[in-house]
Amino acid sequence: MRRVLVVDDEPMVIYSVKRILESAKIEVHTADSGKACLEELRKGFKGLILMDIMMPGMDGWDTINEIVQEGFAEGNIICMLTGKEEPDAKMEKLKEYVLDYIRKPFDKDQLLTIVGDYLAYLE
Amino acid sequence: MKPSSIVIIGSSGGGPRVLKEILNDLPVLNGAIIIIQHMPQFLNELIRESLGACSKMSVKIAQNGEQIKNGTIYIAPSEMHLELINNVQIHLYRGKKVHFVCPSIDVTLKSLKWEFGIRHIGIILSGLGQDGAEGISYLKKIGGVTIAQSEESCAIYGMPKEAIATGNVDLILTPDEIREWLTELIGQTPN
Repeated sequence: MRRVLVVDDEPMVIYSVKRILESAKIEVHTADSGKACLEELRKGFKGLILMDIMMPGMDGWDTINEIVQEGFAEGNIICMLTGKEEPDAKMEKLKEYVLDYIRKPFDKDQLLTIVGDYLAYLE
Repeated sequence: MKPSSIVIIGSSGGGPRVLKEILNDLPVLNGAIIIIQHMPQFLNELIRESLGACSKMSVKIAQNGEQIKNGTIYIAPSEMHLELINNVQIHLYRGKKVHFVCPSIDVTLKSLKWEFGIRHIGIILSGLGQDGAEGISYLKKIGGVTIAQSEESCAIYGMPKEAIATGNVDLILTPDEIREWLTELIGQTPN
């Protein structure tokens, strides 16, 4: 199962991540908000979720909270996409569900290595 | 026979790939390693397989009541705290979350006891929050060696930063340095 869901409100981030991952024959789904991410999961997405933290409305942590509440955490690996700053420790209670943090901007090779590692868990 | 060295490695977000870096090419040590990785339960066996594939040491999910041995790596299962009784016997139990997590690194570190002939080492890797900081201070008090992962090599620096802020961390190392240091200090199991 080489499938990734990219959740980010920035079209440029979605575009570049999609391009990098598709070059490695990875199936990429995209969502431009937490709400759209939950829709993908309700439609049956299973795989690796790359989740932006800072999004308007429902941010990354709110979305993970919903993912957990709706029972979608089982079988999906979640990695956060972060900027330079440290994620807000107030959401520490959700940290067991986040396996990794990937810093933006991405280095193509590093992104492919990290994504490849976690997809290997799900194969 | 009790292990001559007991290494407790605590990790959270970013931990799985750092653990792979440390265990890759690590020889079979003359000591036991216990890994407390915060993760959802469905990943326990998958992480064990992944670490087992890159490690020369035997890697298993810790079982309640078993005695730890030199040359083996034990992974704490999710949703159970892991304590070490008399520095040798694994005790798993369902308890309240500590620092929002179960298993908690602090719980395991604080279960260790000073004992002649046993060396204790605590290592705090990448992760969000403060789990491990109290345990590192306790370990220092009973004569253990304490290590934190370096900032530039962390996906998230929160846990190592909190541990270092206690003033009780002996060494700040990269994953490569942690592997080299463990090999030199603990030594390999004689063939």
